Amino acid sequence: MKAEQPDSCREWRQLLGAYALGDLAAEEQAGLEAHLDGCPECRAEAESLESVARLLPLADPDRFSRPAPQPPAELGDRIAATISGERQVVRRRQRWRFGLALSGAAAAAAAVLAIAILPGSEDSGNPEQHVEFSSLPAGMKIDATLEPHAYGTEIRVYVKGVRSGTLCQVYLRGPHGERVSAGTFRYRWGDDSTAVLSSALDLSRTRAIGVRAGNRTFVAPVEVTRATADDNSNQEDAT
Amino acid sequence: MPPGALSRERDVREAYAAHSGELYGFAVRSLGDSGLAEEAVQETFVRAWRAGDRFDPQIGSLRTWLFAILRNVVIDLGRARAARPSVADGGVEPSVEPLEQALLSWQVEEAMRRIGEDHRHVLVETHFQGRPYAEVAAELGVPEGTVKSRVYYGLRALRVVLEEMGYEG
Repeated sequence: MKAEQPDSCREWRQLLGAYALGDLAAEEQAGLEAHLDGCPECRAEAESLESVARLLPLADPDRFSRPAPQPPAELGDRIAATISGERQVVRRRQRWRFGLALSGAAAAAAAVLAIAILPGSEDSGNPEQHVEFSSLPAGMKIDATLEPHAYGTEIRVYVKGVRSGTLCQVYLRGPHGERVSAGTFRYRWGDDSTAVLSSALDLSRTRAIGVRAGNRTFVAPVEVTRATADDNSNQEDAT
Repeated sequence: MPPGALSRERDVREAYAAHSGELYGFAVRSLGDSGLAEEAVQETFVRAWRAGDRFDPQIGSLRTWLFAILRNVVIDLGRARAARPSVADGGVEPSVEPLEQALLSWQVEEAMRRIGEDHRHVLVETHFQGRPYAEVAAELGVPEGTVKSRVYYGLRALRVVLEEMGYEG
Protein backbone atom coordinates (compact mmCIF):
# COMPACT_ATOMS: atom_id res chain seq x y z
CA MET A 1 0.00 0.00 0.00
CA LYS A 2 2.63 2.44 1.11
CA ALA A 3 4.75 1.63 -1.92
CA GLU A 4 1.90 2.76 -4.14
CA GLN A 5 1.49 5.97 -2.24
CA PRO A 6 0.57 8.74 -4.72
CA ASP A 7 2.98 11.63 -5.15
CA SER A 8 0.41 14.03 -3.78
CA CYS A 9 0.35 12.06 -0.53
CA ARG A 10 4.10 12.20 -0.32
CA GLU A 11 4.11 15.95 -0.36
CA TRP A 12 1.35 16.23 2.21
CA ARG A 13 3.07 13.74 4.45
CA GLN A 14 6.12 15.92 4.78
CA LEU A 15 3.85 18.35 6.62
CA LEU A 16 2.38 15.85 9.04
CA GLY A 17 5.12 16.34 11.66
CA ALA A 18 4.59 20.08 11.89
CA TYR A 19 0.84 19.46 11.75
CA ALA A 20 0.98 16.99 14.65
CA LEU A 21 2.90 19.57 16.67
CA GLY A 22 0.42 22.30 15.75
CA ASP A 23 3.05 24.33 13.95
CA LEU A 24 1.48 24.81 10.50
CA ALA A 25 0.30 28.18 9.26
CA ALA A 26 -3.50 28.42 8.97
CA GLU A 27 -3.54 28.24 5.17
CA GLU A 28 -1.20 25.26 4.98
CA GLN A 29 -3.17 23.52 7.69
CA ALA A 30 -6.46 24.03 5.90
CA GLY A 31 -5.02 22.57 2.69
CA LEU A 32 -3.63 19.56 4.53
CA GLU A 33 -6.88 18.94 6.39
CA ALA A 34 -8.75 18.97 3.11
CA HIS A 35 -6.41 16.23 1.91
CA LEU A 36 -6.77 14.27 5.16
CA ASP A 37 -10.55 14.33 4.81
CA GLY A 38 -10.26 12.32 1.63
CA CYS A 39 -7.23 10.15 2.49
CA PRO A 40 -7.68 7.62 5.30
CA GLU A 41 -4.04 6.51 5.11
CA CYS A 42 -2.63 9.97 5.63
CA ARG A 43 -5.22 10.52 8.35
CA ALA A 44 -4.08 7.39 10.15
CA GLU A 45 -0.47 8.53 9.89
CA ALA A 46 -1.42 11.97 11.23
CA GLU A 47 -3.21 10.45 14.22
CA SER A 48 -0.30 8.16 14.95
CA LEU A 49 2.17 11.05 14.88
CA GLU A 50 -0.12 13.14 17.03
CA SER A 51 0.02 10.48 19.72
CA VAL A 52 3.84 10.64 19.58
CA ALA A 53 3.77 14.46 19.62
CA ARG A 54 1.61 14.40 22.75
CA LEU A 55 4.43 12.58 24.57
CA LEU A 56 7.05 15.23 23.83
CA PRO A 57 6.13 17.52 26.74
CA LEU A 58 7.09 14.64 29.07
CA ALA A 59 10.69 14.87 27.93
CA ASP A 60 13.09 17.34 29.45
CA PRO A 61 15.62 18.59 26.86
CA ASP A 62 18.18 19.21 29.61
CA ARG A 63 18.04 15.52 30.36
CA PHE A 64 18.14 14.03 26.88
CA SER A 65 20.79 16.49 25.71
CA ARG A 66 23.18 14.86 28.13
CA PRO A 67 24.40 11.34 27.45
CA ALA A 68 22.45 8.64 29.25
CA PRO A 69 23.93 7.83 32.67
CA GLN A 70 25.93 4.64 32.58
CA PRO A 71 26.22 2.18 35.43
CA PRO A 72 29.69 2.00 36.96
CA ALA A 73 31.88 -0.58 35.29
CA GLU A 74 32.19 -2.69 38.41
CA LEU A 75 28.44 -3.11 38.89
CA GLY A 76 28.32 -6.06 36.51
CA ASP A 77 31.14 -7.79 38.36
CA ARG A 78 29.49 -7.06 41.66
CA ILE A 79 26.25 -8.65 40.49
CA ALA A 80 28.12 -11.66 39.09
CA ALA A 81 29.95 -12.04 42.40
CA THR A 82 26.72 -11.80 44.38
CA ILE A 83 25.09 -14.39 42.19
CA SER A 84 27.93 -16.86 42.26
CA GLY A 85 28.23 -16.32 46.02
CA GLU A 86 24.57 -17.07 46.30
CA ARG A 87 24.71 -20.04 44.02
CA GLN A 88 24.11 -22.18 47.03
CA VAL A 89 21.38 -19.96 48.32
CA VAL A 90 18.28 -21.86 47.60
CA ARG A 91 14.75 -21.03 48.34
CA ARG A 92 14.07 -23.47 51.05
CA ARG A 93 12.06 -21.12 53.20
CA GLN A 94 9.11 -23.38 53.12
CA ARG A 95 10.99 -26.32 54.41
CA TRP A 96 12.81 -24.16 56.89
CA ARG A 97 9.65 -22.60 58.24
CA PHE A 98 8.25 -26.03 58.69
CA GLY A 99 11.23 -26.92 60.82
CA LEU A 100 10.87 -23.71 62.78
CA ALA A 101 7.28 -24.43 63.67
CA LEU A 102 8.39 -27.44 65.62
CA SER A 103 10.54 -26.54 68.57
CA GLY A 104 13.29 -28.22 70.61
CA ALA A 105 11.67 -31.26 72.13
CA ALA A 106 10.03 -32.25 68.87
CA ALA A 107 13.17 -31.75 66.82
CA ALA A 108 13.94 -35.41 66.27
CA ALA A 109 10.37 -36.18 65.32
CA ALA A 110 10.36 -33.09 63.13
CA ALA A 111 13.35 -34.29 61.19
CA VAL A 112 11.69 -37.61 60.51
CA LEU A 113 8.48 -35.88 59.54
CA ALA A 114 10.27 -33.41 57.29
CA ILE A 115 11.94 -36.27 55.52
CA ALA A 116 8.66 -38.02 55.05
CA ILE A 117 7.24 -34.89 53.44
CA LEU A 118 10.33 -33.85 51.55
CA PRO A 119 11.92 -36.90 50.06
CA GLY A 120 14.59 -34.70 48.49
CA SER A 121 16.30 -34.20 51.81
CA GLU A 122 19.49 -36.16 52.22
CA ASP A 123 21.03 -38.02 55.17
CA SER A 124 17.70 -39.20 56.43
CA GLY A 125 17.49 -39.79 60.11
CA ASN A 126 19.97 -37.10 61.11
CA PRO A 127 18.36 -34.51 63.30
CA GLU A 128 18.64 -30.90 62.37
CA GLN A 129 19.59 -28.42 65.00
CA HIS A 130 17.75 -25.16 65.04
CA VAL A 131 19.50 -22.20 66.62
CA GLU A 132 17.75 -18.96 67.45
CA PHE A 133 20.03 -16.04 68.15
CA SER A 134 18.92 -14.10 71.21
CA SER A 135 19.98 -10.67 72.53
CA LEU A 136 20.10 -9.08 69.11
CA PRO A 137 19.56 -5.38 68.49
CA ALA A 138 15.94 -4.38 67.97
CA GLY A 139 14.63 -5.25 64.54
CA MET A 140 17.35 -7.74 63.86
CA LYS A 141 16.84 -11.45 63.49
CA ILE A 142 19.22 -14.34 62.93
CA ASP A 143 18.27 -17.98 62.77
CA ALA A 144 20.29 -20.95 61.78
CA THR A 145 19.56 -24.57 61.10
CA LEU A 146 22.45 -27.00 61.32
CA GLU A 147 22.34 -30.38 59.70
CA PRO A 148 25.01 -33.07 60.09
CA HIS A 149 26.58 -34.59 57.01
CA ALA A 150 29.52 -36.87 56.33
CA TYR A 151 31.51 -33.85 55.12
CA GLY A 152 30.74 -31.75 58.19
CA THR A 153 27.77 -29.53 58.86
CA GLU A 154 25.32 -27.86 56.53
CA ILE A 155 24.27 -24.49 57.88
CA ARG A 156 21.26 -22.59 56.68
CA VAL A 157 21.32 -19.04 57.91
CA TYR A 158 18.55 -16.50 57.80
CA VAL A 159 19.37 -12.89 58.57
CA LYS A 160 17.05 -9.91 58.66
CA GLY A 161 17.39 -6.32 59.81
CA VAL A 162 20.88 -5.36 58.73
CA ARG A 163 21.79 -2.99 55.92
CA SER A 164 21.32 -4.33 52.44
CA GLY A 165 24.65 -5.48 51.09
CA THR A 166 26.08 -6.32 54.51
CA LEU A 167 28.68 -9.03 54.32
CA CYS A 168 27.94 -11.87 56.73
CA GLN A 169 30.67 -14.30 57.75
CA VAL A 170 29.64 -17.49 59.42
CA TYR A 171 31.75 -19.85 61.47
CA LEU A 172 31.29 -22.75 63.83
CA ARG A 173 33.16 -23.06 67.09
CA GLY A 174 34.54 -26.41 68.17
CA PRO A 175 34.98 -27.93 71.66
CA HIS A 176 38.33 -26.20 72.16
CA GLY A 177 37.10 -22.83 71.05
CA GLU A 178 38.54 -23.22 67.58
CA ARG A 179 36.75 -21.51 64.74
CA VAL A 180 35.97 -23.32 61.52
CA SER A 181 34.72 -21.10 58.75
CA ALA A 182 31.39 -21.81 57.09
CA GLY A 183 31.77 -19.15 54.42
CA THR A 184 30.17 -15.86 53.66
CA PHE A 185 27.05 -14.43 52.14
CA ARG A 186 25.58 -11.03 51.62
CA TYR A 187 22.32 -9.93 53.10
CA ARG A 188 20.15 -8.35 50.46
CA TRP A 189 17.27 -6.17 51.28
CA GLY A 190 13.99 -7.81 50.29
CA ASP A 191 15.62 -11.20 50.16
CA ASP A 192 13.59 -13.83 51.90
CA SER A 193 15.87 -16.73 51.22
CA THR A 194 18.19 -18.68 53.40
CA ALA A 195 21.91 -18.83 52.77
CA VAL A 196 23.10 -22.40 52.57
CA LEU A 197 26.65 -22.78 53.79
CA SER A 198 28.82 -25.60 54.97
CA SER A 199 31.60 -26.11 57.42
CA ALA A 200 34.01 -29.01 57.82
CA LEU A 201 33.35 -29.14 61.54
CA ASP A 202 31.05 -32.00 62.52
CA LEU A 203 27.84 -30.96 64.17
CA SER A 204 28.59 -33.28 67.09
CA ARG A 205 31.68 -31.20 67.84
CA THR A 206 30.04 -27.85 67.29
CA ARG A 207 29.55 -25.82 70.44
CA ALA A 208 28.56 -22.47 69.00
CA ILE A 209 27.78 -20.68 65.79
CA GLY A 210 28.98 -17.18 65.07
CA VAL A 211 27.69 -14.72 62.52
CA ARG A 212 29.71 -11.63 61.84
CA ALA A 213 27.41 -9.13 60.12
CA GLY A 214 29.31 -6.05 59.05
CA ASN A 215 31.47 -5.21 62.07
CA ARG A 216 29.32 -6.90 64.71
CA THR A 217 29.58 -10.51 65.73
CA PHE A 218 26.73 -12.53 67.17
CA VAL A 219 27.23 -15.93 68.73
CA ALA A 220 24.68 -18.52 69.75
CA PRO A 221 25.37 -21.78 71.60
CA VAL A 222 24.68 -25.04 69.83
CA GLU A 223 23.39 -27.85 71.97
CA VAL A 224 24.46 -31.15 70.60
CA THR A 225 21.67 -33.66 70.50
CA ARG A 226 22.35 -37.06 71.97
CA ALA A 227 21.63 -38.85 68.73
CA THR A 228 24.01 -36.71 66.72
CA ALA A 229 26.75 -37.01 69.30
CA ASP A 230 26.42 -40.78 69.41
CA ASP A 231 26.35 -41.12 65.67
CA ASN A 232 29.56 -39.26 65.32
CA SER A 233 31.33 -40.12 68.55
CA ASN A 234 33.82 -42.41 66.88
CA GLN A 235 34.76 -39.91 64.21
CA GLU A 236 37.74 -37.72 64.76
CA ASP A 237 37.50 -34.27 63.47
CA ALA A 238 40.42 -33.65 61.18
CA THR A 239 40.13 -29.92 61.37
CA MET B 1 13.78 -25.83 32.64
CA PRO B 2 12.22 -23.88 29.77
CA PRO B 3 14.47 -22.54 27.03
CA GLY B 4 15.48 -18.97 27.72
CA ALA B 5 15.38 -19.45 31.47
CA LEU B 6 17.67 -17.06 33.25
CA SER B 7 19.16 -19.61 35.53
CA ARG B 8 22.82 -19.85 34.59
CA GLU B 9 25.31 -17.21 35.62
CA ARG B 10 26.21 -16.79 31.97
CA ASP B 11 22.61 -15.94 31.10
CA VAL B 12 22.66 -13.23 33.73
CA ARG B 13 25.90 -11.81 32.36
CA GLU B 14 24.41 -11.68 28.88
CA ALA B 15 21.23 -10.09 30.16
CA TYR B 16 23.30 -7.58 32.07
CA ALA B 17 25.34 -6.69 29.00
CA ALA B 18 22.20 -6.19 26.95
CA HIS B 19 19.95 -4.33 29.37
CA SER B 20 21.83 -2.86 32.32
CA GLY B 21 22.30 0.54 30.66
CA GLU B 22 18.59 1.07 30.14
CA LEU B 23 17.64 -0.35 33.51
CA TYR B 24 20.17 1.87 35.21
CA GLY B 25 19.00 4.90 33.22
CA PHE B 26 15.43 4.41 34.33
CA ALA B 27 16.50 3.68 37.92
CA VAL B 28 18.45 6.96 38.06
CA ARG B 29 15.53 8.81 36.49
CA SER B 30 12.97 7.47 38.93
CA LEU B 31 15.05 7.34 42.10
CA GLY B 32 17.10 10.45 41.42
CA ASP B 33 20.15 8.94 43.05
CA SER B 34 22.94 6.99 41.40
CA GLY B 35 23.76 4.96 44.52
CA LEU B 36 20.15 3.85 44.96
CA ALA B 37 19.97 3.18 41.23
CA GLU B 38 22.94 0.82 41.43
CA GLU B 39 21.29 -0.96 44.32
CA ALA B 40 18.07 -1.22 42.33
CA VAL B 41 19.79 -2.67 39.26
CA GLN B 42 21.72 -5.16 41.35
CA GLU B 43 18.57 -6.22 43.16
CA THR B 44 16.78 -6.56 39.82
CA PHE B 45 19.35 -8.98 38.39
CA VAL B 46 19.60 -10.96 41.61
CA ARG B 47 15.81 -11.31 41.74
CA ALA B 48 15.73 -12.20 38.06
CA TRP B 49 18.34 -14.86 38.61
CA ARG B 50 16.49 -16.35 41.56
CA ALA B 51 13.26 -16.44 39.63
CA GLY B 52 15.02 -17.35 36.38
CA ASP B 53 13.02 -20.49 35.80
CA ARG B 54 9.85 -18.44 35.85
CA PHE B 55 10.91 -16.34 32.89
CA ASP B 56 8.99 -17.42 29.83
CA PRO B 57 10.05 -15.84 26.53
CA GLN B 58 6.69 -16.94 25.10
CA ILE B 59 4.97 -14.39 27.32
CA GLY B 60 7.23 -11.41 26.90
CA SER B 61 10.73 -10.28 26.17
CA LEU B 62 13.54 -10.50 28.69
CA ARG B 63 13.74 -6.72 28.61
CA THR B 64 10.06 -6.37 29.54
CA TRP B 65 10.47 -8.91 32.33
CA LEU B 66 13.52 -7.15 33.75
CA PHE B 67 11.73 -3.80 33.63
CA ALA B 68 8.78 -5.31 35.48
CA ILE B 69 11.14 -6.53 38.20
CA LEU B 70 12.93 -3.19 38.33
CA ARG B 71 9.62 -1.42 38.64
CA ASN B 72 8.82 -3.46 41.75
CA VAL B 73 12.28 -2.87 43.15
CA VAL B 74 11.93 0.88 42.61
CA ILE B 75 8.55 0.86 44.35
CA ASP B 76 10.06 -1.07 47.26
CA LEU B 77 13.04 1.25 47.49
CA GLY B 78 10.78 4.27 47.26
CA ARG B 79 8.69 2.95 50.12
CA ALA B 80 11.75 2.16 52.20
CA ARG B 81 13.03 5.67 51.58
CA ALA B 82 9.68 7.26 52.37
CA ALA B 83 9.61 5.37 55.65
CA ARG B 84 12.65 7.34 56.75
CA PRO B 85 11.56 10.55 58.46
CA SER B 86 14.04 12.76 56.62
CA VAL B 87 12.52 11.99 53.26
CA ALA B 88 8.93 11.54 54.37
CA ASP B 89 8.47 15.26 55.00
CA GLY B 90 5.85 15.53 52.31
CA GLY B 91 3.89 12.85 54.10
CA VAL B 92 2.69 11.47 50.79
CA GLU B 93 2.85 7.77 50.20
CA PRO B 94 4.57 7.24 46.85
CA SER B 95 1.93 5.91 44.50
CA VAL B 96 2.14 4.01 41.27
CA GLU B 97 1.09 6.98 39.16
CA PRO B 98 4.31 9.04 39.37
CA LEU B 99 6.33 5.93 38.63
CA GLU B 100 4.38 5.22 35.44
CA GLN B 101 4.85 8.86 34.54
CA ALA B 102 8.58 8.59 35.26
CA LEU B 103 8.82 5.50 33.08
CA LEU B 104 7.08 7.23 30.21
CA SER B 105 9.20 10.38 30.58
CA TRP B 106 12.33 8.30 30.67
CA GLN B 107 11.23 6.40 27.56
CA VAL B 108 10.60 9.60 25.62
CA GLU B 109 13.91 11.10 26.72
CA GLU B 110 15.75 7.89 25.87
CA ALA B 111 14.00 7.80 22.49
CA MET B 112 15.05 11.41 21.85
CA ARG B 113 18.64 10.39 22.52
CA ARG B 114 18.42 7.54 20.04
CA ILE B 115 17.02 9.29 17.00
CA GLY B 116 19.41 10.88 14.51
CA GLU B 117 21.15 14.12 15.39
CA ASP B 118 19.51 16.03 12.49
CA HIS B 119 16.06 14.97 13.60
CA ARG B 120 16.70 15.68 17.25
CA HIS B 121 18.10 19.08 16.44
CA VAL B 122 15.05 20.33 14.54
CA LEU B 123 12.68 18.94 17.18
CA VAL B 124 14.62 20.67 19.94
CA GLU B 125 14.82 23.99 18.11
CA THR B 126 11.23 24.12 16.84
CA HIS B 127 9.29 22.30 19.50
CA PHE B 128 11.27 22.61 22.72
CA GLN B 129 12.77 26.05 22.04
CA GLY B 130 9.68 27.23 20.18
CA ARG B 131 11.67 28.89 17.38
CA PRO B 132 10.06 29.63 13.99
CA TYR B 133 10.77 27.03 11.30
CA ALA B 134 12.06 29.73 8.94
CA GLU B 135 14.64 30.86 11.47
CA VAL B 136 15.86 27.32 12.11
CA ALA B 137 15.98 26.72 8.35
CA ALA B 138 18.05 29.87 7.76
CA GLU B 139 20.45 28.89 10.51
CA LEU B 140 20.91 25.46 9.00
CA GLY B 141 21.08 26.86 5.45
CA VAL B 142 18.26 24.61 4.22
CA PRO B 143 14.78 25.36 2.85
CA GLU B 144 11.96 25.60 5.38
CA GLY B 145 10.35 22.57 3.75
CA THR B 146 13.42 20.54 4.73
CA VAL B 147 12.97 21.50 8.38
CA LYS B 148 9.33 20.41 8.15
CA SER B 149 10.23 17.09 6.59
CA ARG B 150 12.93 16.54 9.26
CA VAL B 151 10.30 17.17 11.92
CA TYR B 152 8.12 14.61 10.17
CA TYR B 153 10.86 11.98 9.92
CA GLY B 154 11.98 12.84 13.45
CA LEU B 155 8.54 12.05 14.87
CA ARG B 156 8.43 8.86 12.82
CA ALA B 157 11.83 7.81 14.14
CA LEU B 158 10.68 8.59 17.65
CA ARG B 159 7.64 6.40 17.12
CA VAL B 160 9.80 3.49 15.96
CA VAL B 161 12.14 3.78 18.94
CA LEU B 162 9.25 4.04 21.39
CA GLU B 163 7.64 0.97 19.87
CA GLU B 164 10.92 -0.91 20.24
CA MET B 165 10.92 0.12 23.87
CA GLY B 166 7.48 -1.38 24.34
CA TYR B 167 5.37 1.75 24.13
CA GLU B 168 1.98 0.86 22.74
CA GLY B 169 0.49 4.22 21.83
